[in-house]
Amino acid sequence: MRDLLCGVDLGSRSVKIAVMEAGTDDEPGRIVRLEKVDTIAFYRNYGRKQGDKLVVDFAGLGLDAVEMLVSTGYGRNTLELAGGEAIPELKAHVLGAVHQTGLKDFTLIDLGGQDSKIIQVRRGRMQDFLTNDKCAASSGRYLENMAHVLGMSLEELGCHIEDPVELSSTCAVFGESELIGQIVEGRPLPQLAAGVNATIVRRVLPLLRNFPGETLVFTGGVAHNSAVRILLAQQTRREVMVPPEPQFNGAIGCCVYGQRQRE
Amino acid sequence: MGKIGLTTTVPMEVIYAAGDIPVDLNNIFITSPEATKRVEEAELAGYPRNVCGWIKGLYSTALLNPEIRRIVAVTQGDCSNTHALMETWAVQGIEIIPFAFPYDRDRDMLRLQMDKFIQAMGTTWEDVNAQKGRLDQIRALVWEMDRLTWEENKVSGFENHLYQVSCSDFNGDPEGFVAAMEAFLAEARQREPFPERLRVRAKTGKRKEIRVGFIGVPPIMPDLYDFLEEQGARVVFNEVQRQFTMPFDTEDIVEQYRRYTYPYSVFERIGDIAREAKKRNLDGIIHYVQSFCYRQIEDMIMRKKLDYPILTLEGENPTGLDARSKIRLESFLEMLRD
Repeated sequence: MRDLLCGVDLGSRSVKIAVMEAGTDDEPGRIVRLEKVDTIAFYRNYGRKQGDKLVVDFAGLGLDAVEMLVSTGYGRNTLELAGGEAIPELKAHVLGAVHQTGLKDFTLIDLGGQDSKIIQVRRGRMQDFLTNDKCAASSGRYLENMAHVLGMSLEELGCHIEDPVELSSTCAVFGESELIGQIVEGRPLPQLAAGVNATIVRRVLPLLRNFPGETLVFTGGVAHNSAVRILLAQQTRREVMVPPEPQFNGAIGCCVYGQRQRE
Repeated sequence: MGKIGLTTTVPMEVIYAAGDIPVDLNNIFITSPEATKRVEEAELAGYPRNVCGWIKGLYSTALLNPEIRRIVAVTQGDCSNTHALMETWAVQGIEIIPFAFPYDRDRDMLRLQMDKFIQAMGTTWEDVNAQKGRLDQIRALVWEMDRLTWEENKVSGFENHLYQVSCSDFNGDPEGFVAAMEAFLAEARQREPFPERLRVRAKTGKRKEIRVGFIGVPPIMPDLYDFLEEQGARVVFNEVQRQFTMPFDTEDIVEQYRRYTYPYSVFERIGDIAREAKKRNLDGIIHYVQSFCYRQIEDMIMRKKLDYPILTLEGENPTGLDARSKIRLESFLEMLRD
């Protein structure tokens, strides 16, 4: 059996784990397993702090012994995984997107649980980037809250695009009361859902303005929302490509980094 | 001899000439271990949450230092929040001495402002000019410290920040400051340059130090500097802090405060930044912006006019560098390294 490389993306809402079979000269590495664990559950059930490192109970997670461990993500600065190397988050995302799409020149847009990132990639390298700063609007957490208020699953929320209701607040907290007000007004749920999706895109567009290019690679949990995907393509007039595993992009990037270190 | 509070740099020669002691409230606020508490106190008093952390910190800091009975408040050349800050202090019985930097840098208007300031403080132009001569000798020591930072690479980004930012009032004790500065310079000159230290430490032996410029108001989280150095980058240019040292070759005090870029238009600042960035061989620039500050808008112009990779970093309260800012800084350095 080939050596296994493990990439861990410590996100704000979930921890993503990717396992890759090390590649050879003729064959690139192959992703053999993907796991997603709620962040709180991950730290509570599988993590243990030892000194200033985090020891992860990989056997408990049902993962075999791996040869190499690479981590990234929100926890990187506060917690470093024991027995592994930690790499910057944006680097992991660039590596993951290049690996998943085979593209070298694109604008990466990653909408995660709390963070929005826009990265300009040229010749496979990060050339410039913007991230949201003090506010988690346009993130997955906002979508989760709104889906909860509307009594819909995230999948269903992402299906609605027609006749959006105008919503002014993207605040994950104030958005709730605004939506409730609209429900009281008797607005149909599909229009409210469309309004929520439109709000996300409106918030992201100004960030994209300074990043020219033909192709947008869209990753992070929000990339599963097809309405946001379509609106992004319509409003930027660019091709939007969602890689096969948008949410695991950072974890896959960690594996790619590990593979390169072996070479 | 009384203590005169300052909200930002003003012609402090006037205060020393009057025999009083300037106290930059920003410095007392941010060096206090209770800085966060100062912000909370201002919010409890009624300051809105979405107002600059510095304004709130200054408000409570002045009230906690009752020996400060008079404050010079800059009514033009800084933000309009300062106006309301002055007014809330006035309600608390503090005497306010307004000072305005004319936006168009008009020489006559500036001279008139200084004239009024001199009268309010009860001193003369002659005494003010004598103080300029005295303080310029001290400033020359700080200019040398700055040169040791970028040219000889012997001074850290934080030290550069600290000594320059202290030039807004010389800690109220110019002679004490001279002694500290001279001791520091003697010690720093003996140091091994930072890039060499980094090369020894790095496993590859090839790692290059990244040279960063810091532009914008002084950061509310000074731990930024040490974090950058841990990551192999060093701030070799602190824009506004350097302006506090009045690095201008002029004998004329009105001209000195005309050349001081901070209170005037963003274009004066950009000219200064572009010159220094080239001279200091910067790899990238961090533009620090304070939450809720009008200068956040000027970020657009900075990005357009400065031909360097720029990271815009926002800070709000004196709670230290947060995890998200660390991620952003790290990614920025990673990009510069590639």
